[in-house]
Amino acid sequence: MELNRRDLLKKITTGTAAVAAGGAVSATALGGIVHAEEPAKAPAGAVGLLYDATRCIGCQSCVVACTKANGLEPDNRRDPLHQAPTDLNSRTKTIIKLYKPAKAGESFSYVKQQCMHCVDPACVAACMFGGLKKDAKSGIVTWTGKYCVGCRYCEIACPYHVPKFRWEGFNPEIVKCELCKERLAKGQEPACTSVCPRKAVIFGPRQQLLDEAKSRIAANPGKYYQDRVFGETEGGGTQVLYLAHVDFEELGLPALGEESVPQKYLKWQHRLYSYLIVPIGLYATLVGTISKNWKHHQEHAEIEEKNTGLRPQI
Amino acid sequence: MKREAWERDVPVFDVPIWTRPFMALCGLGALGMLLVVYREIVGLGPASGMNDAYAWGIWKTFNTMVLTGLGSGGFAVGIAAWLFKRNNLHVVMRTALLTSLLAYLFGLAMLGVDVGRPWNFYWIAFPWHWNLHSPLLEVAVCMSVYATIPLLLENVPAGLEYAFEQWPRYQAPLKKVEKFLMAGYPWIISLAYVLPAMHQSSLGALMLLGGTRVSPLWQTPFLPLLYVWAAAFLGFACVSLTLLFAGLMWNRPFDIDVLNELNRLTVGLIWTWIVFRVIDLAVRGQIVAAFRADIYAVLFWAEMMLLLSAVMVLRGAINLENPRLMFLGQSLVAVGGMLYRFSPTTLAFQPRANAFYFPSAIESLISLGFIAIAVAIFIFLAKILAILPAPMRLWNAMETIKARKATAQKIPVRVGRGQFATGD
Repeated sequence: MELNRRDLLKKITTGTAAVAAGGAVSATALGGIVHAEEPAKAPAGAVGLLYDATRCIGCQSCVVACTKANGLEPDNRRDPLHQAPTDLNSRTKTIIKLYKPAKAGESFSYVKQQCMHCVDPACVAACMFGGLKKDAKSGIVTWTGKYCVGCRYCEIACPYHVPKFRWEGFNPEIVKCELCKERLAKGQEPACTSVCPRKAVIFGPRQQLLDEAKSRIAANPGKYYQDRVFGETEGGGTQVLYLAHVDFEELGLPALGEESVPQKYLKWQHRLYSYLIVPIGLYATLVGTISKNWKHHQEHAEIEEKNTGLRPQI
Repeated sequence: MKREAWERDVPVFDVPIWTRPFMALCGLGALGMLLVVYREIVGLGPASGMNDAYAWGIWKTFNTMVLTGLGSGGFAVGIAAWLFKRNNLHVVMRTALLTSLLAYLFGLAMLGVDVGRPWNFYWIAFPWHWNLHSPLLEVAVCMSVYATIPLLLENVPAGLEYAFEQWPRYQAPLKKVEKFLMAGYPWIISLAYVLPAMHQSSLGALMLLGGTRVSPLWQTPFLPLLYVWAAAFLGFACVSLTLLFAGLMWNRPFDIDVLNELNRLTVGLIWTWIVFRVIDLAVRGQIVAAFRADIYAVLFWAEMMLLLSAVMVLRGAINLENPRLMFLGQSLVAVGGMLYRFSPTTLAFQPRANAFYFPSAIESLISLGFIAIAVAIFIFLAKILAILPAPMRLWNAMETIKARKATAQKIPVRVGRGQFATGD
């Protein structure tokens, strides 16, 4: 059967009108959240850490202090006598790792790992119901159990491999550094910075830390890798900043470019679902065309029923 | 060659329900469910091979992400039949819809077992708690709505037909229900095409956030499009294979015309998919990655070769009208397509050096258990409901047996439940 253009248009219009009524309500409610094209900026009150690998002596005081302050069970699974985690895990929110160069003669380095508290965090973008959220004031990325489904998408999304899952038991949790927010509330600084004997890791407002890092670079030209602060712009920026004398990638800090992970990879997703215009338009078009085909099909089925006496099957 | 008159779905009559393979499937399913209880008690770590590097295992990446692709028959065949007016495909719609419903329901159930804190899933009922940035939220919402509203409603007519025959007393109210359903049917089926288009593409979008950890042979901004496209040809493959397998198992004739229509559409979809994928690789400058001596290149060529050989075999099958070749061709489509949908999450996903994942025995048995139950339910329903297509003569044969049985016992006619086995 030929498709009648006028009928089709009429169907589409009626379809659109009805769907738009329902869609408009949800679209205005939800659309605003979806529509985010501007790159995110760190909140004015953003706090963070500055870790200077050239100062770190690898004493691991921070690791022990972190475990204590967060009430975690020390990870001695590898060595019953010592707290010796191999990586961040459900008992370890921060860790000191040693980078040994492949070639002899090149300098080695320690590196501290914990949550980077990204300006535009991939884990928060991935999280379904806001179990992981970025605090609007401090910019700290926190985990709230009652909104977490335990899907572990944050582990897939985080470019720094930070969120960890407690794999044992019926009530698992996501474990990651929350910048000792309970200690901050009491006016104390995070456990790791409070014990560092060399002030290799310090706490403060992000802007202040950034200025400090830049003044250290200016005072010691050539000392730091590419005279660069990792976290200023990398991956949309982070609230934990790094200075080092070796390649950041060797220390496990990936080259992400200036765009944040959600911005880089979900741009088109957001445009496609912006105000739900595309899905609603698609639905209206389908209803228009299929209604017509359906009517034709039903007429045909009625004739068949008359001829054969058999009830039509849909 | 003279064609038989089709246009009718007929229950698989005259066969017992409790066959040995059916009991084996039920046994596998029961074992799987027992192991689910074990998993809920001890947690995900001891029960599965998952770890912090490979945080997603086969429950999500195979049972949900791959098998709902295979269960996209209701979406793919439906669009061909209702939107593009391939009218001869209406007769296989019920087969497509039931495979889809089962794939989705068990995919969703598997998600419930996979997540660590399923009791918090109730937030899905509160849209103001949704994070609309999350592709996984889009999948969770869209998939649940699709499986429980339009897809379920699409499966209702087959059940109504059964009830209509079974309980003649209620024919008047049943007719009313049917009329009500039919009035909204175009709206329902349109929704049944928009929602899968959304969540099948968002399944691809899930791995976008995986960034550079997904091999560049798979990681592309067009991953969502390639995923939904693969779902379309996987859906056709699943329906074809179900029809062919049912024909072999219960010795029912094949409708070559319908099978060839499905084959032709599958071939067309795969061709465009392959061309698009190669163009995408070329534009991103990643063609060289396919010629590196690594596991990803091997995997890439395995996918491409499976699908290319599937196209060759299916073209031969279409010309020769040979069901055996169709079975081979569609199996190649299924394996190739499933491999493509599995790769970005697992095989071509390298979270870091030395990371390793292999599903544990318990994990695999639970995964298998869910599949077994879905297959068992399909077999059971195919025997009592009019799901699978058959020639008119089979419908007439069923009616004759029913009538003979009714006069012999002088009781109202009952359809199905294997009672026709003693009908003669």
